[in-house]
Amino acid sequence: MSEPDEAPVIITINGQAVEARKGAMLVDAAKAVGVEIPVFCYEPRLGKPIGACRMCLVEVEGMRGLQTACSTPVARDMVVNTTSDQVKDAQNGVLELLLANHPLDCPVCDKGGECPLQDRTFQFGPGETRILEPKNHFPKPLDLSPLVALDRERCIACFRCVRFSEDVAEDGQLTFHERGDSTEIATFSGEPYEGRFTGNTIDLCPVGALTSNPYRFVSRPWDIKNAPSICAGCSVGCNLEITERDGEIKRVTGRPDPNMAVEEGWICDRGRWAFPALTAGDRLVMPEIVDQVGRRHVRIERAVGDAGAILRRSGIRVAFLLGTPVTVEDGFLALELSHLLDDAPVARLGVSDDGLGPLRALPGAQMHDMDGADVIVMVGGDPSSQQPVTELRLRKARRNGARVAMVGPRPTALDGNTAEALRTVPGRLGDAMDVVAERLLGSSRAIVLWDECDLAAEPVAADALARLVASTPGARAIELAADVSGPGLRALGIPATGVLEQIEAGEVDVLITVKADPTTGPGGTRWAAALNQVPTVIALSTHRSPIVDLAAIAIPVLYGLEEAGTLVSMAGRAQRLRPGAIGPEGAAAAWEVLVGLSHRMGQPLPDRTAAQAFDRMAKRFPAFSGLTCTDLGLLGAPIAAGTGGPAAPARRAEGEGLALVVSTPVFGDATAHRSDALDCVREETHLGLCPAEADRLGVSGSTHVRVTTPFASVLLPLVEDHRLHEAGAYLVLGDPASMAATLLPADRGPVCAVISAPVAQEVGA
Amino acid sequence: MTAHEISEFLAPIRHEFPDQRSLILPALRFAQEEQGWLPPEAMAAVAEATGYSQAYVESVASFYDRLYTEPVGRRVISVCTTLSCMLRGSDELLAHVAANIGTNGEGTSADGMFTLQRAECLGACDRAPCLQVDSDDQQGPLTHDDADAIIGALRADGAPTRYDR
Repeated sequence: MSEPDEAPVIITINGQAVEARKGAMLVDAAKAVGVEIPVFCYEPRLGKPIGACRMCLVEVEGMRGLQTACSTPVARDMVVNTTSDQVKDAQNGVLELLLANHPLDCPVCDKGGECPLQDRTFQFGPGETRILEPKNHFPKPLDLSPLVALDRERCIACFRCVRFSEDVAEDGQLTFHERGDSTEIATFSGEPYEGRFTGNTIDLCPVGALTSNPYRFVSRPWDIKNAPSICAGCSVGCNLEITERDGEIKRVTGRPDPNMAVEEGWICDRGRWAFPALTAGDRLVMPEIVDQVGRRHVRIERAVGDAGAILRRSGIRVAFLLGTPVTVEDGFLALELSHLLDDAPVARLGVSDDGLGPLRALPGAQMHDMDGADVIVMVGGDPSSQQPVTELRLRKARRNGARVAMVGPRPTALDGNTAEALRTVPGRLGDAMDVVAERLLGSSRAIVLWDECDLAAEPVAADALARLVASTPGARAIELAADVSGPGLRALGIPATGVLEQIEAGEVDVLITVKADPTTGPGGTRWAAALNQVPTVIALSTHRSPIVDLAAIAIPVLYGLEEAGTLVSMAGRAQRLRPGAIGPEGAAAAWEVLVGLSHRMGQPLPDRTAAQAFDRMAKRFPAFSGLTCTDLGLLGAPIAAGTGGPAAPARRAEGEGLALVVSTPVFGDATAHRSDALDCVREETHLGLCPAEADRLGVSGSTHVRVTTPFASVLLPLVEDHRLHEAGAYLVLGDPASMAATLLPADRGPVCAVISAPVAQEVGA
Repeated sequence: MTAHEISEFLAPIRHEFPDQRSLILPALRFAQEEQGWLPPEAMAAVAEATGYSQAYVESVASFYDRLYTEPVGRRVISVCTTLSCMLRGSDELLAHVAANIGTNGEGTSADGMFTLQRAECLGACDRAPCLQVDSDDQQGPLTHDDADAIIGALRADGAPTRYDR
């Protein structure tokens, strides 16, 4: 009688013999053959079924009473009825009770029209109630946080949000208080429910109890259009769904059909609520040119025409600089255009590839491979802050039994409960390789997450780590890439260096920047000086920035959620962006502007859509060989792994003082700062020191410190934190306007900083 | 009450609870002894001592009628209002007790002497309507005079008169 779980068996559902997997839940087995059993609380992504809502009651022959199909596993020869009178009666009863205290305020509910409770009630419900007693009333709504609103009258106590908080995000914030019909969702002492992933509870809520405050009363389901796209906030490449109304993005949610290989439907709050940045006041909406009259607005045709005229001049030396988020198509067309311009150099702003070749040649893994890993070692980085959804995968891996270790200089949100924290001396990752080796010993399905910035700074550690992983059977690697464009542009062979040096050597007459503003980033001071030597800058930019003010021609371009194109995730997965909004009237997609330039130069490139550009590119570049835009479909596809490159010699940190440990939290970047919705969770620029070190430097208790490297000197707020290593200064990059990133060298290499007390007038009396 | 004191209290009984989650209840009862109720700091201490989240500990505390998440009077009177008692006049009994101690329905009297609360079935349906003082045995069936006598005795010396019939 005992057969392995997952073996196919025959069961009967509503009189039909069907094949099902043994051990699968009845509700899934029925769904697989097209029979819908209604559910509210069932959600396999939240862990084991709990049978809280009783909506899925079905009749199983030989079992007494009705069974919850969500928690009844399939067994051989089971005979199931989902439509009998008894089942129908139970469904009527359950819905009648779930609605006993429900205010039936669908016409004014944000969930109305896309509400499982509404749909199930119409499909399976009784249509009327026999309950005459007064309903529970609560003041509404209650703000669980500035982002999430709770309407307690509508809650059916399905436990989905509570299970997300407890078992997925593991933040232990949401619970139920009281009992019976007084049960309500609450946090400890009424504190706000704030974290990096809170918005997922809104997607999970099967009723109108949890709704999005920024989306409150913004639109009705019949006014909107949804498009599946990709988040351009970090290199994880979460799949998301964009809601558009009147050409503008009104909402971003996780995909209803999640990409299980990437984000599993969970997205971070930065990805969910950053979209207001697209309509922020400093968005570049009209092209600008500088001519005899001065700086003025023109139509995009004129701006592209003028730029084309400049590029047509003979003998000019052009260079391209690509920033972020730049799609693979943008990169490809920049390369194509460069071929028409005497092979003009094309570079991306990012971390240099030097010394990372050995790590990139390792066998790669996708995000979902972490679910089955036995050991996960993170080397450097802080995925919770820089690639947030990675954190949820790591927590899941730990629940699945993986041993997780975090080797690096930063304290992280995963320390303790999820990951064994092995703190390293800042700038000395190489010393920890013995520890990494120990953790990998005996594993057969290990995954190593390595941070691009940290390991680029320590090529010797990178090489040692690569050898370790290569010699561990079954071990694979995922790169925690520093930016969203890097993996895609690298696959096209676009380097992170070159253009700056060429400008400084006076070899560039025209610089075309695509979503790149190097003056506020690493090496900003050097870049600013160099840019002053460039006679003509043509800036393709989403927002106003110093480079726009410097440019002879500035052309507004579309941003991630507005455009078509392809991004490659840190795990090497190519995924398609689909436009969720029209974007400013005067703007076009960057790839389109580049094609436009080729036309104005009299050497037109053939691409009319991003898809055509992708297909032409895929034939040219081995990383994408065999892929077409159609193949990528809704869920994307992994690209071929790189061939790697040589190891590099050790790098010496520039400057004197404490090693600078840099974090770039996505909740602190320019886009997050442009979105009002993220006010409550935004991260600000600051410098962290351990109290003992702050004391030694004589800055203990100061609100600000002056941080000086060979590249810049910046006044920053000081945060003292005992979890920090005393041999490091921890720089957290927030708003680019703070100019803190200019403390780093242009190649984001290792650097030391001198920390000093500010002079009195600097901090203001 | 500190997490350390709670941990010390739990140490000798820890082995009695195969599911460590079950330690939350005795810990909460112990923590409540100090102030007669559970301020957020006490629940936070229980969370620290048991290893569960503060929110979860508060969730457990809020489930039980005799774990108080708000300050209560010196004596807590619970009047059963479930079916049998309701049919035998518990609503009127509750209103009568409230009038006697000077509360508007459930709540705590101005002098801090009494807290009156509604209880779900106290398990004495054969003696409906019944009430319970603190955690003493339930008593009933009670007339309004009986209730007055109980309250009077509690006011006088704190020793409740029992009306077991």
